[in-house]
Amino acid sequence: MIDIDRIEKRTVRSFYDDGSFEIASGFVFVLIGGYLYVQTALPKGSALAAIMGVALIGVIFLAGFLVNRIIRVLKRRITYPRTGYVAFKKQPVSPRKRRRAGLFGGFMGLLLVPLLTLAPSLSALLPIMVSFPLAMIAFKIANKAGVARFFVLAALSAVIGFALTAAGIGGARGIGLAFGLIGGSMILSGVTALVVYLRRNPRPAPDGPEGPDAR
Amino acid sequence: MPADLRSLAEIDRVIHEPARLALTAILSVVESADFLYLQRETGLTKGNLSSHLTKLEEAGYVAIEKTYRGRIPLTLVRLTDAGAAAYKAYRARFKKFLERT
Repeated sequence: MIDIDRIEKRTVRSFYDDGSFEIASGFVFVLIGGYLYVQTALPKGSALAAIMGVALIGVIFLAGFLVNRIIRVLKRRITYPRTGYVAFKKQPVSPRKRRRAGLFGGFMGLLLVPLLTLAPSLSALLPIMVSFPLAMIAFKIANKAGVARFFVLAALSAVIGFALTAAGIGGARGIGLAFGLIGGSMILSGVTALVVYLRRNPRPAPDGPEGPDAR
Repeated sequence: MPADLRSLAEIDRVIHEPARLALTAILSVVESADFLYLQRETGLTKGNLSSHLTKLEEAGYVAIEKTYRGRIPLTLVRLTDAGAAAYKAYRARFKKFLERT
């Protein structure tokens, strides 16, 4: 008998088969990490540091755009010619859920700023605060799509956060390093997945029209 | 006829066939997929895949669009609203039957 759940899960998993998601996300994480690291290396109060601080929001928005763009390019050039084109459903986000996420983000931001001002020592915890949500996202993907390497990425993200905090590397520098190291791990995982994918799926030779007309 | 058997007799035979069930299951989680993707995921031959897609299209469960990606012909398949509803009903009915037996 056909296991429908398994087929559905395998279809969702096929999105991650080529490693493009990890490569794109990892690249963007390294970019954000580098940006934050450079920012901390600049002399405090300098004009460039101030400009970079203001431009951070723009960099984050650009990062979101870049992830989708890189995935699209990689899939169009590598995946679709080998294993076919597939467009996945975009999960609709209800206005209520969107509002709740916005409120949560705003609340966390409002909570974090006075907390860090009143107790600067808490900034040592920032790498954990960054790496844990990322670990949770990786865990969720691993669980939902059944991609085992995302369990490893989730564990690695948590370990990186812990290690940086334990080493006393906090603040923006700690966040930058956390993003950089997690991003690097993701790129490594993605490239490994891509190599395996390319070995398993050589480009098929063109053999005339496809589809119902092929009959 | 007992209720569980009647429920099984009323099952959608267009979807119930294993290859078509696999196709609708795949299409239920994607927006659209091309012929090559469906062929690789189901392991069907071109001829078999075409014939099953035609049956699903005749039942109004899938829509097939012929287009081009650059110069390469592309056959895009997606589940219609009727197809999605039929697949959902099939799943529910079959699950109920399995629970009863």
